[in-house]
Order: sequence, then C-alpha cells, then structure tokens
Amino acid sequence: MGWFKRRFRRSDDAVEREIAFHIAEQTQANIARGMTADEARRRALVEFGGREQVKQTVREVNASAFFESVAFNLKAAARFLRKSPSFSLAVILTLALGIGANSAVFSAIDAIVWRPLPFPGGDELLRLSQNDAQGREANHFVAPSRLEDWNRMTSTFKGISGYYLDDLSELSGPLPEKVTLALVAPRFLQVLEVSPALGRNFTLEEEHFGGPDAVLISHAFWQRRFHGDPSALGKKLRVGSFHYSIIGIMPASFHFPNRDVDLWAPSPPDAPYAQRRDATWFTVIGRMKPGVTLNEAAADLSTVQSQLGKQFAKPDSELSVTAEPLKETIVGSVRGSLWLLYGSVSLLLLIACSNIAALLLARTAEREHEIAVRFSLGASRRSVITQLLTEVLALALLGAVAGLAVAAAATRGFHLLANTLPRADEITLNGRVVVYSLACAVLTAFLCGLLPAWRGTGTTKGHGLAQSLAHSGRTQVSTRNPMQWILVSVQVTLAVTLLVGAGLLVRSMQAIGRVSPGFDPRHVLTLQVSGSWGETADMKGVVQRIDRTLDGLRTLPGVEAAATSAMLPGVPSKYQQEYKIDGKLDPDRKILADSRWVSAEYFDTVRIPLLVGEACRQASTTSDVVVNRSFANLYLGGTGAVGHTLEQAAHNDFAVTGIVRGIVGDAREQGVNELPVPTVYSCFSAPNPFPNYLIRTHGDPMQMVEPVRRRINELEPNRSVYAILPLEEHLEDAFADDRLRTLLLSLFALTAVSLACIGLYGTLSYLGRLRQREVGVRLALGALRSRIVARFLWQGLRATAVGCVVGLALGMGLSRLLAGMLYGVTALDPLTYVGVLGLVLLVASLASLAPAVRAARVEPVKVLREE
Amino acid sequence: MAPLEKTDLLQGTLDLLILKVVALGPVHGYGISQRIRQISDSVLQVQQGSLYPALHRLEKRGWLAADWGESDNSRQAKFYRLSAKGRKHLAAEEETWNRLSRAVELILQTAE
Repeated sequence: MGWFKRRFRRSDDAVEREIAFHIAEQTQANIARGMTADEARRRALVEFGGREQVKQTVREVNASAFFESVAFNLKAAARFLRKSPSFSLAVILTLALGIGANSAVFSAIDAIVWRPLPFPGGDELLRLSQNDAQGREANHFVAPSRLEDWNRMTSTFKGISGYYLDDLSELSGPLPEKVTLALVAPRFLQVLEVSPALGRNFTLEEEHFGGPDAVLISHAFWQRRFHGDPSALGKKLRVGSFHYSIIGIMPASFHFPNRDVDLWAPSPPDAPYAQRRDATWFTVIGRMKPGVTLNEAAADLSTVQSQLGKQFAKPDSELSVTAEPLKETIVGSVRGSLWLLYGSVSLLLLIACSNIAALLLARTAEREHEIAVRFSLGASRRSVITQLLTEVLALALLGAVAGLAVAAAATRGFHLLANTLPRADEITLNGRVVVYSLACAVLTAFLCGLLPAWRGTGTTKGHGLAQSLAHSGRTQVSTRNPMQWILVSVQVTLAVTLLVGAGLLVRSMQAIGRVSPGFDPRHVLTLQVSGSWGETADMKGVVQRIDRTLDGLRTLPGVEAAATSAMLPGVPSKYQQEYKIDGKLDPDRKILADSRWVSAEYFDTVRIPLLVGEACRQASTTSDVVVNRSFANLYLGGTGAVGHTLEQAAHNDFAVTGIVRGIVGDAREQGVNELPVPTVYSCFSAPNPFPNYLIRTHGDPMQMVEPVRRRINELEPNRSVYAILPLEEHLEDAFADDRLRTLLLSLFALTAVSLACIGLYGTLSYLGRLRQREVGVRLALGALRSRIVARFLWQGLRATAVGCVVGLALGMGLSRLLAGMLYGVTALDPLTYVGVLGLVLLVASLASLAPAVRAARVEPVKVLREE
Repeated sequence: MAPLEKTDLLQGTLDLLILKVVALGPVHGYGISQRIRQISDSVLQVQQGSLYPALHRLEKRGWLAADWGESDNSRQAKFYRLSAKGRKHLAAEEETWNRLSRAVELILQTAE
C-alpha cells in the first residue's frame, strides 16, 4: 500500500501548490489595486473560499483515478462483501462448487491425459504390437526372438523390451501367497529408465538362460512381507518351482505394467523354449531415441519387420506391426469420459455464472443511486465498471479458494477409483490446478460481472444526480427486464442440455440392466488358481491338474456344476479369429468368429442352452468344438453344422482344429452390451495355466467360498486361490466406469436444474418486490389476485419454455458426442427428451409458484400509503 | 436535437466556459477565473470551489492536458491546454449551446 499512499499524497501536494499559486496571484492583483499586503492576502483567501473543501472535492474527482488501482478497489470490494454477507456467501458457495468441480476434473485430465507417464521421458515410450496379415490385432503379443530382432535391427529406438504376467504362488511363507510376477525381457528397466530404490538391476548374466534366478520386488510387497526391512535384499523367494534371490526393491511410485505386480524376474530370450517365432508372449515396449517422431519409429519398425519377413517366410511375412504411444494404451479408454465430465462441469459453471449475473443485475439496479453519486463526482464509466468488476472478482477469488478445498476432496475421491481409473493415484492438487482455478475465477468474474456492471452504469450515466436522487426509493425498473429473463433462459438451456445427456446415459444403463445375456450369471462363483506359463511345457499335466481340481469341486456339497474358461462370460473381451471350414478358406468371405476356450461343463454351469448335438465331452480324445447359433446360421447353413471340421486360419500356439459337435444358444459373451457374434467354443479345460473357474452353487455363491478354498487347498497345497468373486460382480465391475460416468453426469445435471430453479425463483421474487407498487395499484383498481399470479407464473414459464426449446435442440446436437457411450437408446431417444421436458417444466412451475403467489399477496392500502 | 434535460445545466455551462477559455492558449487556473470574469463583464463569477474540481474533472476526461510551467510573475503554475479530444468536445458543446440559446430566445420572444 506504500506506493498507493505516496501517489495519493503527491497529487494532494500538487493541488495545494495550485491553490497557493492562485492565492498568490490574487494577492498580487489586489496589491496592484492598492491594498496593503495583509489586506490583499486576506481578501484573496476570503474570495477563494473553503480551501480544504476545494481540496477535498478535487481529491474526490481524482479518486476515481485510484479506482483503477486494484488495491483501492479491493478495499472497496471488501466493504461491499461485509455489507451483504448472505449475498456474498451464496455467491461464494455457488462458485466454490462450480470452480471446485471444474478444477477437480481439470486435475484428473491434467494427470491422466496430459502429463507424461511417470517415467523419465515418458512420451518417448511406445507399445509395439504385431498384427496378422489382415492388419487385425488378434492379440498384441510378440515372440521373444522377434523382440530381440526388433531391438537389434531398428535404428530409431534406444531400446526395446517387454513383459508378460504370471499369477503364481509364493511358498516361503506358512501359506501359499498369490503373487503377480512380471516376466520381463532384457533391458526392461533401462527402457523405462527407472532404477531400483534399493539394490540393483538385473545383470547380463541373470538375463541369460541358465543364469542365477534373480527377482526385483515391489515396494508394496516389500512392506507387506518384510515390513520395509532392508535386509530383505539377498533373501530367497520360492515362487512356483523357482528359488529367486531378491536383488532389488522398486520405488513406491513404480507400478508398471500395473498396480498388482509384486515381482519382476527376467525371461531369458535364449531359452530353448523361447525360440519359436509363432509363440506370442510379450507385450512390447520401446523407447524412441530423443527427437524421433512416432511416424519415423513406426516406419523404421515396419521396414525391419519386412526384412524379417524375407528371412522367415513363416510367420514373419504374414505379420505387420503397429506402434502407438504407451500412454495411449493406458489412458485411451477414459479420455472420452473425462472430456464428457469436463464439458458437463463447465456447463455447470456457466449456469452458476448466469445465476450470479442475474443476482448482480438486481443488485446493481438497487445501487443505482450510489453509482449516480460516483458519476456526479466525476468518475468515468470505466472506473465505475472496474469497481463493480473488482467486487465480483473478490467474490470469485474467494470462491476459487473454497473451490480448491472442494477439488482437494474430489482428488481423494479419485484415488478411491484406482481400479476404474488408470493413473488415478497420480492425480494431485498441484500448482497447475491452483493456477487453473484462479484463471477460472477471473474468467468467471468477467462472465458474471461485466454484463450487470455495463447495464448498471449505462442507464444511470445519462441521468444527473438530481434525477437519480429524485427516483431513489421508488426505482422504476422496466417491467419487461429482458436481460434477467434471458439469463434465466440461459440457465434453463444449459440445465436441459446436461439433463438430456444424463438421461440418455441413465436410459442406457437401464437398457443394459434389462438385457437378457443368454446365460445366467446368478449363483456362479468365479476364482483363479495360480499357475505359471512355464508349466505349459507339459500341457497334458496342466490339463490333468485342472480336470482333477474341477472333479474335486463338483463333488462338494452345494456345488451344482463347475467349469473353466479362458475368459469370463459377459466381461468385455474380444479374440476374433479367422477359420477354415473343412480345411478350405471361403473365397468369397472371411469366416470370422469369436474364439473361446471352455471346459466340458461350461454350458451347464452358465446355463447356455444346447440346441443341437452335444456339448463338450469330458476327457474326449478328439478335439471338439461347439458353435453358437449365429455361427451355425451364418456359415454352416443352420442345423447341418454338426460334423464339419473347423480350423483356425492363422498359426499360433492355440491353433485349433476340431469337429463341430453341437450348437448352443447365442450368448452375450463379449460383454452384456454387445450383441452375440458368431462364436466358436473349443473344448479345452486348460487354455492357460490359470483359467477362470466357474462354480454354480445352489445358494449364495459367497457362502461357498470357504469350502471351495479348503477343497482346492487339499488338492493343490502349493497353489493359491485368488480373485474369488461372484460372476455377477464381475459383470458389474465391467460397467463400473460407465456407471460412474452416468452417476456423475446425473449429479451435475440435477445440480444444474437446482441452480436454474434457484435462478428462476430469485428473479421472480426480485421482480415481485420491485413491482409491489404496481401490483398494489392494480389490486386497488380491482384486478383479480389470480390474474396477477398467472401473469407472474407466465413470465417465469415463458423464460423456462424458451430455455427448454433451445436446450433440447442443443442437447440433440451434443448428444452425438455420446454416441459411443449409449446402449439400447438412440441419441434422439424421444422418451428421454419428453421426460426431460416434463421434469424441467414441473420443477420450474414449482419454483415459480411461490414467488408469484407472494407477489400477488400485496396489501394495496399499505403499499399506496408507503408512497 | 440532443435531449437537453439530460445535461446538468450548471455543470455543463462551466465546463463549456473553461474549455472555451483554454482554447485560446495554455492558461493556469487563476488566469481562467480572471478571463471568464473579464470577458463576461463581471457577470459570471466563477466560484473557486467549482473551478478547480471542474478543471481536474476535465483533465481526467482527457479534454484538458496540464503541465507545470512558470507564470508571468515567475511562479510555478499548472498550465492547462486543450487536447484534440477536448477541441472536438468543445465544438459539439458549442453547437448544443447555440441551439439551446436560440431556442430559449425564440420562446422568450414569441411568448411575449
């Protein structure tokens, strides 16, 4: 404030000097007229009049210059806030919610979508995949030898590595503990550019076949098993059939490839079992050299792959490659939802803005007199507008500060969503979010403040002080007040837009809930039993083990049926394969089908009806397949399907040739929201070492958890049981993010409608107050109260109707953005639109009724006497 | 014709006189008050209580510019001069004033 006072004093001095000069000149003139010096000065002073008064008036004129200084304005603003605490509090709270929600979603977008992955140079990391000849990404896994070729032959990468996951049991403790082991290709940590927090990385020797078995452990595992004791280094872990030495502990922030990984161990590329080029193991990550673009890297990789194609006609010549940013593979799925949320919270903030703008319009009209006084003291319009804006800015800044508290709470909320939201744990309230909130506040202040300030100063400016004073006390605001009603309409418009979006999502969720999936997920318990890919060297042993477990489960009392399957029914998954029928490719069309592996009793367990022929036979010596009705109808001419042979067109580890034994009903295996597609079920109980067990129980599946655990422990004492959940919960989890999105959008939409109603209520109440005198006169002249109520109601409903029409049109336009997120309803679902219209008209009528009735309940005599 | 009732007559008049005087050349506050009195044959005596606030207001509006300089009696004085914006404003005000005075004159004559 120092400079401010100095500046003030300097200008005061100048006025003093100016006045002194005037008096000196006058004195001199008086002397020239023949007065004595004393008399001349006395007369000059008298003639000048109240010196201090002149100075004060000049100071007030100049003070308007200081209105432009933020410090002065803020002081005035603080006075303004204190003068009307309830108004200020309402505005601050509205903005706190508006800005807070906006900042919270911004912090999520910032952390998830914008910030690079939490590795040094995270944007240089790519995921590299191999595709089949048709360019389809059957699965993105890559053979170990090909990974090594890529690493050696490409020139744009610093390094290429990869991983795959095993769910295993750690056996050095009293009970087998399920652990997730990431088996990593050489150079894993070098590519990620991460070092262990304690200990060291793998040596070259450890990355080769036959080298010492070394393992890195996660921070969480270290805490859990060793309570953070550094002496864990060098200790042994017994995982499956291996004895690993702990060589390092990873930093707490390191969760790659996912949060569940406990251990990292090398998967040597020179192992004899890793030499097949058609084996697909690794999810491959590569780090580009600095300055290399994605396109250059992808082109380089393609060139290398075509060279490999010349060298290895089969299978490399049939493969193409893709490279995509690693971040995209992690966050791509939630980007749409996040932007949707961001859009809705921004609409919400806009509604809050127009709400506050309407409040301010009313207030500024009430302050007409004060503004007129400022003008008459010589303040320019700009300085008065600046003053009014500063008041709003002060409110907005306070709102933003409170909003940061809201955002901080929301951030903690996000952390609880770690299972649904990738990178949720990286969401923090950092400087960028704070800056964003403050920017929001400034923008908000201009949005809500500029219009009222402009209008408030516009009407008064023409009037002199005299008129304003004459009018004060009976401010006659134009009864039409178009600006107030436009603001109400804007709020209704935005609220309706949000409601349409929320309504469509809610209807989608309902539609999904109503779908009959073609299987029965009730009373089915699912679980997994640890196993390792290494066991697949003895495939027969794995099958025997799994069949033995299944037999053991079936004989448990309370269990109706038990089966295994590679993928859970209804949990989104796609594994589309091309097939040959009776050894021939169809020249005219591709025979594409979802490919699933299930054990014999699968169809009984999940109750998919058998239509023709027989289901999988247990302990069958032949390779059997079962197809669904869609497949039979589309490719095999219906019921005649049984007896044909099917063979996968592509070559890979699980290429299946089988005889069609039966046809089953269509089921929504790929997700409850996906229509059934042609499907081929291969009868095979051991598609991987840790398939999903599905157990149909007589009663509540969770009641069977303990007996099932005990039975498996008897059969497999060295294996752990994990992921025990009813199938229904898996299905719910599959839509957890959709549900969350729907819930949040509905919440925002309802808040928006409430805000719009408060705006409508406030505006109508204010106008009722303003027009008390008019209403009194009308009543005195014999107007009916009901007519007056109707008039007020009509005003409110007209603005609402306009808002509804524009809002529905806007909703129709924007609903296209939801297209990919809808199920079972079109973006133009009439029921949603009619429902939204009905709801808004209903609540708007309720919000208008009270103020309309109150406005008409005027005592004519009282009002007229007051005048 | 511009709506006259919206102009504060007294304030507007003083502003017009000041601008007119300043238009003749740079002049200080004392000079302005003397000049108005002289030219109007002492009919108009400007109160200092209105003159200085008016000067500062006109300066703030950008119609007048001011510099400190030396007066005839070698004292430091604040000299006001007309800005381009002020010149334009003065022309417009003069026009308004002339119309008003013609109209008033007309009424006074015909109403006799």
